[in-house]
Amino acid sequence: MIVGLLLLLAGLTAPPKTHTVEIRGMEFHPAVLTVAVGDTIVWINRDIVPHTATAKGQTRWDTGQLVQGQVWRYVARRAGAARYVCTFHPTMHGKVVIR
Amino acid sequence: MLPIAMTLALTAVLQAQAPAPAPAPDLSDPEVAHVAVTANSIDIDMAKLVPSHTTNAAVRQFATTMITDHTAVNAQAGALATKLGVTPKDNAVSESLQTGATSARASLEPLHGAAFDRAYMDHEVGYHQAVLDAIDKLLVPTTENAELRKLLVDVRPAIATHLEHAKHLRSQLAAPARTGK
Repeated sequence: MIVGLLLLLAGLTAPPKTHTVEIRGMEFHPAVLTVAVGDTIVWINRDIVPHTATAKGQTRWDTGQLVQGQVWRYVARRAGAARYVCTFHPTMHGKVVIR
Repeated sequence: MLPIAMTLALTAVLQAQAPAPAPAPDLSDPEVAHVAVTANSIDIDMAKLVPSHTTNAAVRQFATTMITDHTAVNAQAGALATKLGVTPKDNAVSESLQTGATSARASLEPLHGAAFDRAYMDHEVGYHQAVLDAIDKLLVPTTENAELRKLLVDVRPAIATHLEHAKHLRSQLAAPARTGK
């Protein structure tokens, strides 16, 4: 029983994960990312041209300009969903879901 | 309607090879590099016209992106040319691009405001479509060096995205005013 309780606690306190969104070929990969509260999301620009990942609507986060090879980290603090775009290239869209 | 001379110049180059066995301009890698750098520089120069010709925020933002992106591509092309020991070499395709750009610029310069916005975005739609066609039908097929070819292939999605962005912006602008011609 004690062992079971410990396992349960271990499950509840699973360490946060890090997820990566690659920007390449003028697209976000993956375009839709689902993470848990506490997880970290890393955007990395693999393209020659600069990009941003900028949240739309009420959610406020913005990578700012990312040149080739540059990364930006965001810790998911609250549950919710946010769509985001590259402000330089408005045809590029992504979405983050935090559960 | 703006004469899209540069587009026509590129189109003429491409159409020359349309009847199947007609020879494509057989460009060497230094010539391909020169065409690529010229094409980027032309769009940078065209975008630099924008701030003094329009207050339209979306058009100005597009132009800023063109300067940023094409400058980044040219920096990459320059670095690769240095690495490969290639000196970009002027050629007929580059010259026809430059001639077309001079003509297009002359058509844009007298325009201001909404008329400029339409003409500039028309130009950008035609220009990026022509560059895409040139990458696919002329530049990639003729390039021998794998790294130079990869750069062209890597740049293609950016050009395609610029084209979609330009088409969208153009569709947001009011219809062209009648000129009576």
